[in-house]
Amino acid sequence: MNNHTYLRAYLAGVFLPTLAFPALLTVLFLGQLTQPTPFPVERIVVFPLTFVPACWGLWNMLWVASRHRTHLPLGLHGAILFLLLLPAGATLAKALGVITLGPHSVTWFHAIEAPYAVIACGVAFALVLYYLAWKYIVGFVNRVLGVA
Amino acid sequence: MNAQEEDRIKQLLKQTLPPVESNAEPERDLWPAVLRRLDGDVAQRKAVPWFDWALLGGLAVFAVSFPATIPVFLYYL
Repeated sequence: MNNHTYLRAYLAGVFLPTLAFPALLTVLFLGQLTQPTPFPVERIVVFPLTFVPACWGLWNMLWVASRHRTHLPLGLHGAILFLLLLPAGATLAKALGVITLGPHSVTWFHAIEAPYAVIACGVAFALVLYYLAWKYIVGFVNRVLGVA
Repeated sequence: MNAQEEDRIKQLLKQTLPPVESNAEPERDLWPAVLRRLDGDVAQRKAVPWFDWALLGGLAVFAVSFPATIPVFLYYL
């Protein structure tokens, strides 16, 4: 199965974000039902619906194209993607009014207020999440699809 | 192709290709080595290093401690 390697790499990359998006939608709709202030769902979903899956697919294609030269493990390669998506997602969220930056905390989705210390820990654990997701889930799908 | 050319080709092929022995078998049984290789591959795939388990545990503890951050994690997935 050596044909269309990059197409299969793209599909392997978009697998997890495609599964995670309905979970995010469910959480948002449940939040809308329980929270007094409504969520701007249509603005929140722009980033995870459009940018994230495409970036994961393209990033996996890049790994397939460069792995023989860089020898970079898939987990580390995926963790680097988060460092690129973090400012992009935050910038888009700020532009769309999804987050509000305060002096001591950040308010996400008009409902979740997190101090900057928690945000810093969250960034570290998001790196861990990306590392594990890429190493085990994307790696597994890559093997199933015959990419790696 | 006439008979003379066919004979010539047969002769050339016999010269080029080594004769196959009638009872050609490997010197040792290769099947155990195949089984070891398969078992090794499976074990290598199943083995998750302790460091990754620790990272997963830390991630779970953080998610339980700050459940409000889960939608933010999903936002980036």
